[in-house]
Amino acid sequence: MILLQIIVNGLLLGGIYALISIGLTLIFGVVRVINFAHGEFLMLSMYVAYFSYFFLGLNPYLSLIINVPLMFVLGVATDQLIIRPLRNAPSYMQIFATVGLSIVLLNSALFFFTGDYQSINMPFAKKTLVLGGIALSYSRLVIFFSALLVSIGLFLFLQKTDMGKQIRAIAQDRMAAQLMGINLNRVYMVTFGIGSALVAIAGGLIMPVYYVFPSVGVYFVLTAFVVVVLGGMGNMVGALIGGIIIGVTDSLSGYYIDPSLKEVVYFIIFLIVLLVKPSGLMGMVGAEEMGMK
Amino acid sequence: MPHLPYRSLGRPEVYVPCALLAAAILVVLLTENSFYLNLYFMIFIFAGLSGAWNIIGGFGGQLSLGHSAFFGLGAYTSALLFVKFGIPPLLGIFASIAVALVLAAVIGFPCFRLKGPFFTLATIAIAEALQLLAVYFRGITDGSEGLSIPYKPSLLNLAFESKTNYAVVAFCFMLLVLAISRWIQRSQLGYQLVALRDDDQAAESLGISTTRAKITAFLVSGALTALGASLFAQYVLFLEPHSAFSLNISVNLALISMVGGLGTVIGPALGSFLLIPLQELLRGWIGGAYQGLYFVIYGLALIGVVMFMPHGITAFFTNRYLRLISWLPTFAVKDAAVECSSAPARAVVPATSPEPARMPTSSAIPVIEAENISKRFGGVQALFEIGFSVQQRQIFGIIGPNGAGKSTLFNILSAVFPQDQGTVRFMGRDISEITRPYLVCRMGIGRTFQLVKPFENITVLENVMVGAFCRGNNRAAAMSLALDVLDFVGMTEKKDLPGNVLTLADKKRLEVARALATGPNVLLLDEVMAGLTPKEVNEAIDLIKRIRDCGITVIIVEHVMQAVMSLSDRVMVIAEGLKVMEGPPQEVIKDERVIRAYLGEGYELTATG
Repeated sequence: MILLQIIVNGLLLGGIYALISIGLTLIFGVVRVINFAHGEFLMLSMYVAYFSYFFLGLNPYLSLIINVPLMFVLGVATDQLIIRPLRNAPSYMQIFATVGLSIVLLNSALFFFTGDYQSINMPFAKKTLVLGGIALSYSRLVIFFSALLVSIGLFLFLQKTDMGKQIRAIAQDRMAAQLMGINLNRVYMVTFGIGSALVAIAGGLIMPVYYVFPSVGVYFVLTAFVVVVLGGMGNMVGALIGGIIIGVTDSLSGYYIDPSLKEVVYFIIFLIVLLVKPSGLMGMVGAEEMGMK
Repeated sequence: MPHLPYRSLGRPEVYVPCALLAAAILVVLLTENSFYLNLYFMIFIFAGLSGAWNIIGGFGGQLSLGHSAFFGLGAYTSALLFVKFGIPPLLGIFASIAVALVLAAVIGFPCFRLKGPFFTLATIAIAEALQLLAVYFRGITDGSEGLSIPYKPSLLNLAFESKTNYAVVAFCFMLLVLAISRWIQRSQLGYQLVALRDDDQAAESLGISTTRAKITAFLVSGALTALGASLFAQYVLFLEPHSAFSLNISVNLALISMVGGLGTVIGPALGSFLLIPLQELLRGWIGGAYQGLYFVIYGLALIGVVMFMPHGITAFFTNRYLRLISWLPTFAVKDAAVECSSAPARAVVPATSPEPARMPTSSAIPVIEAENISKRFGGVQALFEIGFSVQQRQIFGIIGPNGAGKSTLFNILSAVFPQDQGTVRFMGRDISEITRPYLVCRMGIGRTFQLVKPFENITVLENVMVGAFCRGNNRAAAMSLALDVLDFVGMTEKKDLPGNVLTLADKKRLEVARALATGPNVLLLDEVMAGLTPKEVNEAIDLIKRIRDCGITVIIVEHVMQAVMSLSDRVMVIAEGLKVMEGPPQEVIKDERVIRAYLGEGYELTATG
């Protein structure tokens, strides 16, 4: 029974990882930039949820109305102000720039919000649903099903809408898509915005469960990198499955090995994936060979 | 060639750097203020550490953001050996280096086969994992409380009573890194790294094992980082996992190198001389009072450097420095005037034309023989059961409409990707199982690319030298061979131009020169005339004939019919992956199937009707 409970906990945790990773993998797959500031975007959106609750009394689920557009704008601004001038620079320059942004955001938060841990006291977050002896936290269930919904929504958006089709076209072949009249810059901008808006959903939803503090994003983003590589870079479904696998791994190794070593376990998984199947579980075979320029 | 350093001391490009370094050490020796001595130590140690990072990050263009793994591991190894087993750090540093080499191999082998950001992510992950392990195994490392190293001054312990000695040790470390960097830059490895940083595929085609070059650079880089970290540990006498393995250290090494100038020998040292004092000052002013503000400025600086001065301050100083050098006099130190690094070696190499590596004497065996080559990409049958053979000293033309599979065929011959079925024989030997382009090049099959891929950030001469190193030449021999090849293709006067300013015709010629320098028996030329003016086409035809006259077999893929027909001994026509025919040019040009393949059925109707 304990094992089952651990696996269920892992699945729910996986929903959180998946939700955070989907935006990262979308941005990587299309814009071909690893946004090292992704974790800080998460941290900021958690603070937005926290302050909306603190000052306006808004439920964090409700404050997504503010949170999502704000993060969309932040994503667009990042793309236009930092990534756009570096579009044709070597990829390590872009990585550098986002690392710089991550340092700025993290320490600005430290400067303005101090390093104190903050949380929201929501009665709902403490309630659990007991099903056949397995305890399920409502707020974590919300996150898990939101991750599924977001994935489905994103999938439909990419399949059905004009913008979605343009994004997929650019992801497959920049040159050919541009020759078909697709505005590369606009697609990148929107994609960066959407990827960041997705992390805002994650930030708002996990606020009832987690403490927020300036370096909270660092922990999540490293996990998200593992998830993204495991699932296959740029693959949305992969991020979902990868997130759940890492969630369960996290939960199991936390119980059976040691809570402080669970990251070590999935960093080892990360290296094994690189060795055995670098394209990831769902990634295109050979994608890693094409070179991400 | 023996090259005694004191002889060249009279030259300004040697005595100016020596004088600067001497001045630096003199300043250190004359300083007594411990604040400044501390600053000097930090400058020198970070100059060395950044220089170590620069070997893989700058020369090789592989962005590591996990060098703190080497830093932490190196520092902890020597410190723990000292604390737990009493092994003096002067010996312990060798253990640190050994551990770093193992770590570099563990990260390098899985990651360097891949392109993209995998390497960067893996380095970060390793550093994080090591940090967690260092905290977890507190029985060994004292965990988060930190490890205190006892202070027992002696040279063996790398601990001293005077801070001056520490600064001198750090200075020596910096000198070591500078010397190794300079040696690498001028060695075969340096040229290989610059080439693969610009274009991995082109580098492979010139006989460079890019994986091996990257791993070698990474091993050197990691070992030097660990060495510097051990020295650092003996200075601060305290280690703590969260700072020793922190991402900040890794980012700082990269930032210093970038501010100074990525991929230059002196850049990281310059960056350290500029940034370390700034960082120490800033930290002093605002570090304690306003939490986070220091790193906000730091992050902004990082973004600013990337966006506004990606080439660093070295780029700004280089020309001024060279001008200064050219003004300074050369002093005669013994027979310095006679000293010249390249002239004597040149005579060793035949001065006329590039000789192929192994000249075959028996002419019965075809040089290249392909049988039943098929290749499928998803739903597209790119090639189907293609077979042909090329005799020695022939020029063999391959023509066909766009999408016929010509470039695919070249990519199979040069092992860019494997065929699905069929065999390729080179000089009678089956090479179907060879899967790496650099091995094919070393066997004697050189090639050019349809989309030109010159290395853009180095000169024409250096481009050709990259190829010339393929035959195990030293630098002088490679340079003289490259000069001969440039003379042969008629680009001598352009040898000092960077690769990115050339015209298309010159870029294509440079590719031919680069491939020739690898000493091939067979040269695969992929559309070297596309986009050239008629005059340039004639020059290219002339060049290809002269290449053939040197005894090199040439296979050309070309759309310029005039060229193919006048050059080729035999021509093969392929269309939609199928071989249409093969024969002498006169027959091919009249063949109905060929005309149909090129112009379609409609042409036949109007022609006959």
